[in-house]
Amino acid sequence: MQRRVSDLEPATVQQPLEQEVARLLVEALQLDMPASTIPPEAALFNEGLGLDSIDALELALAISRSYGFELKSDDERNGRIFACLRSLARHIEANRTR
Amino acid sequence: MSGLVPPDFAVPLIARAPSDVLFRGPGRSFTTADLLAEAHRLADALPDAARLVNLCRDRWRFAAVLAASALRGQPCLLTSDASPERLRSLAERFGPAVSVADDPALPSPLRHVCLAGAMPAHEAGDTSPVMLPADRLAAIVFTSGSTGEPVGTGKSWGELAARSAAAAARFELRPAAPAAIVGTVPARHMYGFESTILLPLHAAASSWCGPSFYPSDIRTALAAVPAPRVLVTTPLQLRALLRANTDLPAVARVISATAPLDVATALASERRWDTEVWEIFGATELGSIASRRTVAGAEWATYDGVRLAPCENGGTAVTGTLAAPRALGDVVEVLDPTRFRLVGRGDDVVKLAGRRASLAGLTSILTGIDGVADGVFIAPDDLDERPTARLEAFVVAPGRSAAAILAELRGRIDAVFLPRRVVLMEALPRNETGKLPRRALQAMRAADVEDA
Repeated sequence: MQRRVSDLEPATVQQPLEQEVARLLVEALQLDMPASTIPPEAALFNEGLGLDSIDALELALAISRSYGFELKSDDERNGRIFACLRSLARHIEANRTR
Repeated sequence: MSGLVPPDFAVPLIARAPSDVLFRGPGRSFTTADLLAEAHRLADALPDAARLVNLCRDRWRFAAVLAASALRGQPCLLTSDASPERLRSLAERFGPAVSVADDPALPSPLRHVCLAGAMPAHEAGDTSPVMLPADRLAAIVFTSGSTGEPVGTGKSWGELAARSAAAAARFELRPAAPAAIVGTVPARHMYGFESTILLPLHAAASSWCGPSFYPSDIRTALAAVPAPRVLVTTPLQLRALLRANTDLPAVARVISATAPLDVATALASERRWDTEVWEIFGATELGSIASRRTVAGAEWATYDGVRLAPCENGGTAVTGTLAAPRALGDVVEVLDPTRFRLVGRGDDVVKLAGRRASLAGLTSILTGIDGVADGVFIAPDDLDERPTARLEAFVVAPGRSAAAILAELRGRIDAVFLPRRVVLMEALPRNETGKLPRRALQAMRAADVEDA
């Protein structure tokens, strides 16, 4: 049974790793916004930040450089990993090798 | 077989032996007999009489839906842009249409069938060979026309079979050692359709039907298939693969298309993986018509039977493997009927993620939004080279916010063409004749970047 992340952490405040991943997003994708303004639980793709598949590829390279692990297509999981900044940061926390 | 197939000629739906492997995925493989059995099952199971819009991502499933459509005597509808707006407009044009996909999360405004779940078991069914009239339409492939309205191009089985044969000859696909294709391009894109769905049906090749998007997926896929391996990809993904600096099993050939590949990337790839990098030249309306080895020079050689001729209007006509001559959308210098150099695309056409759009078409959608008094889509000059580059929109819309305009555009245009920035202006720098000179647009963009 999965707990809702919002029960554990404030929905609108970036946690330390989330701040770091937000900076990585803005830098790698050259987004036209300050990293601190990315809401942790807003959608990254489609609505919300409006990222697309080209961004996903770019983001995968940046994550592998910074955190030492590779993203894989796994249709079941990827939707959840890329759902929002918070889920992405959690996935990085669980898989990082540096 | 080359050149035009006579219309009264019959071509096989699948020109392979019953036990030949056509598709391979992680821990699974599908033969000609499997595909025919699954196609018959789907042809019966899918709603009667409706046209099938094939949105399957899994290549095996995509091929099964295509073959099922053929058995029902219908063309499959293919569209790179699967936005709800696009799907609705296809349904308006073709009457009852059913979208068939394997992603339960895919939003579709049409009657929708999801094939997700366990792969059907290998079961005995009708696996007798299927012959189709050469002039029967296999698919209608849609692109955004210059007004933003979808324009469909019919593809007959004869035309597609002839082009598969030409590609097989060009890329040396031999029955003695069938190639294992790993494709990274969506099957509903014309290049992906021809090279990862039709080639295994018509030529000595199998196609990977597992994940192939990220560099790690590509490495896993190549390791899972037998040599000789052929990687069918795009400049964007090839550059990502190089930057990931990943080792790959022996790859006999890399084929790239959808955008021009730079010689530096081709050369680096050839050295890194001891392979040959080739490019295919084509367009949705034409299919693949020529190829070149990128490091060998700028000259393209047409496929067997394809010939180019300059037209009176300054354009170029393409003949062979097509029912009728067609005009080439790109500007080329014809050296002789089978060789040419690429000069460029028209100023209006932009390409992202292998999809083509007309800036004028996007602009007309933008200016059609309620409350938008004026507006224009602009492409940065380095759109083809910089992976993070996207279009921008400059808009005059008193009382409306940039976010509201973006929300209106979403769903009306393909996501990759959504502007990364929507800049609100008091007025656009139009000249006396009401036109927006390119220089004025560049100045407007530069001024805005300085302000930011």
